[in-house]
Amino acid sequence: MKAWLKVFKDGLSIENPLTVLMIGLCATLAVSTQVQGSVFMGIAVIFVLVMSNALIAMFRKLIPNEVRIPIFIVIIASFVTVVDLFMKAFFPPIYAVLGIWIPLIVVNCIILGRAEGFAYHNTVWLSVADGLGMGLGYTTVLVGLAFIRELFGSGKVDLFGATILRMPGAYEPPTILMLFPGAFIIFGFIIAFTRWLNQRSATRKGA
Amino acid sequence: MKSSPLRLIVSVLVTCVIAAASLAATYSVTAPLIAAQDKAAEVDALKTVLPEAVSFEPVDAATLKDAEAVVSDEKVDAVYRALDGSSVPIGWGIKVASRGYGGYINMVLGLDSDGKVTGLTILSMNETPGLGSRVKSEPWFLGQFLKLKPGYTEKDVKSLDTISGATKSSRGVRNSVIAAGLIYEKVLKQAGEIR
Repeated sequence: MKAWLKVFKDGLSIENPLTVLMIGLCATLAVSTQVQGSVFMGIAVIFVLVMSNALIAMFRKLIPNEVRIPIFIVIIASFVTVVDLFMKAFFPPIYAVLGIWIPLIVVNCIILGRAEGFAYHNTVWLSVADGLGMGLGYTTVLVGLAFIRELFGSGKVDLFGATILRMPGAYEPPTILMLFPGAFIIFGFIIAFTRWLNQRSATRKGA
Repeated sequence: MKSSPLRLIVSVLVTCVIAAASLAATYSVTAPLIAAQDKAAEVDALKTVLPEAVSFEPVDAATLKDAEAVVSDEKVDAVYRALDGSSVPIGWGIKVASRGYGGYINMVLGLDSDGKVTGLTILSMNETPGLGSRVKSEPWFLGQFLKLKPGYTEKDVKSLDTISGATKSSRGVRNSVIAAGLIYEKVLKQAGEIR
């Protein structure tokens, strides 16, 4: 398998930032109450992750080891602010949905974690592949979690102003799913499920 | 591998300068667009809460200051006099912010010349999606304020329902309605500006 393809796939499966590495969880639990918000959050994270990974990999030989973290943070914060301002200026309805979550990408450990753990030691193309894989892995789990929480927690799933799925009328949504305890419980099930998936594909490969 | 102090300083400095420059560039491109959108959103909101008004003019600074003085914790951002086609004042648009669960809830309220709420809308808020955000997504909640009689008091507002699971957010909206009532009773009415 080509190296970049493996890096990309690992981000989605055996190195998934949320279910395996378990970083960036606080933002995930907060954002995953609505599918729509989660989708755009995922897009924003993918953009920032790919851009910062690429830039850091490009200049990795010039960034001195001792001050790498401050430099990473400045780069990441700049990209996040650019996304923030552009969304506000060109997509105000989307920005209205996301609000405070976009600036909070700065403190999302996934981005700094990948800058430090991957982009600083790898080539530009591999880092871009890693950013895409990690970003998509993050988005998939985030949207999945949001889908379950919104469907069972509020009784329906809204996307772009239209209700795409609705529970039967007699269904009384438990509020706990919208709160953090519910997020933890569902997230636990998602971790168990992905672990089972990863294990199964590992044994298949072995056989 | 140890870098010289000079190299450390220069590398951080260069990074920050480039970052600052690119942010400045982005900001100068987007700032006018963002400001125009905020303004448009405000005008839209005013038209929604006072559908009969044709134009809006801001009240003078002294009146705005008096309005700020009569409310307790809320922020009064602007007070507009709503005019109809022949420039006769028909009501008031009040832009007010009060604390909800996740910071300030920015709202625009419309009052007619008798002090009855003609409409209210939430411009922006950071309430918990799915819980606090229901103050906006469940129409009955904002709708019940339209039934308040002219000259309503704090007690009248507090007798209205709140959304369970969104107590603080509901309270934020209620406080804005109370603030608008106070501003009308104590400032706009007494200033003799209603003809």
